[in-house]
Amino acid sequence: MVKLRARCLLLGDAAVGKSALSQMFSSDGAHFHKNYSMTTGVELHTKCVNIPETTDSVELYIIDSAGKEIFLEFCEKMWGQPSVVCVLFDLTSQQSFDSCSQWMDRVRAHCRGMQVPGVLVGNKSDLSERREVQTTVAQEWAQSQGLDYQETSAKEMENCEAPFHSVARAFHALYQERRETIRNLHVLA
Amino acid sequence: MTSTSLRSLGAKVVLASSSDEAQPPQNIIDGNTDTFWMSTGMFPQEFIIRLAESTGIDLVTIDSYNVKSLKIEKNTLDTFSDFQLVAETEFELTEGQLQSNAISLKGTTASHLRFIITSGYDHVVSVHRVSIQT
Repeated sequence: MVKLRARCLLLGDAAVGKSALSQMFSSDGAHFHKNYSMTTGVELHTKCVNIPETTDSVELYIIDSAGKEIFLEFCEKMWGQPSVVCVLFDLTSQQSFDSCSQWMDRVRAHCRGMQVPGVLVGNKSDLSERREVQTTVAQEWAQSQGLDYQETSAKEMENCEAPFHSVARAFHALYQERRETIRNLHVLA
Repeated sequence: MTSTSLRSLGAKVVLASSSDEAQPPQNIIDGNTDTFWMSTGMFPQEFIIRLAESTGIDLVTIDSYNVKSLKIEKNTLDTFSDFQLVAETEFELTEGQLQSNAISLKGTTASHLRFIITSGYDHVVSVHRVSIQT
């Protein structure tokens, strides 16, 4: 049994629903704020995720970082060294999807060459008539970046846990891989 | 080769910031580099070794993997307070083999040694053996 800890960066343009999603997830659906309140710095949410078919768990330290460009310089100082990343866009905004590659570039600058598992999240799936980004397009781009892909609706509580469970499982897999590598070091030495 | 492990000299690991049942912190002081303690994500990470008695220490040797920056603190008390920095160092990356580094403490007297790993070359790091020369 082991409890892992992972620093989960939550990024994406302003108003795509990062805070709504992380609040939904960390409060088990108890908090959805109907009024928009812009995040101007970073907010921290923590939640423990059990890994299926094991006795292991991953405690996620979710860093919900402001999406507005003017806050970026300050926020980046708080990112630290991410363990995993969630990049969010609004399914009803092509522009927010187009920004994702820029968000990924910013993340990579913080990873110091380390492998950082991640997930691309299309939020606001409840607004189906206004959808501008098709699932297949988003999925393809995610795959090209080595990211998992999930669609959520923080408002309708649809699939909100999936992105976080995805990165938790990926980090757990990475830990096990590293443990095997370290165990095998002695055979070589 | 140092023949006696810290554990057989009565030392104990009294705190570790990560714990995987499969790699308990006591592996750090069993004198064996085949067994190890591993961090379980994020930095900083730390562990504290309590020595059997206050001891003058010339050299600390650490066998590890993927540790980047390390600080060593000590105190001369029975409790976990008033630690003083005695060494701050950076290890080189050694892909595929253990890092082995000796750090001079110039005979400083200590009853606890606190090792703080402030960064690593990967998400997780391992410490295989800590030994001291008195």
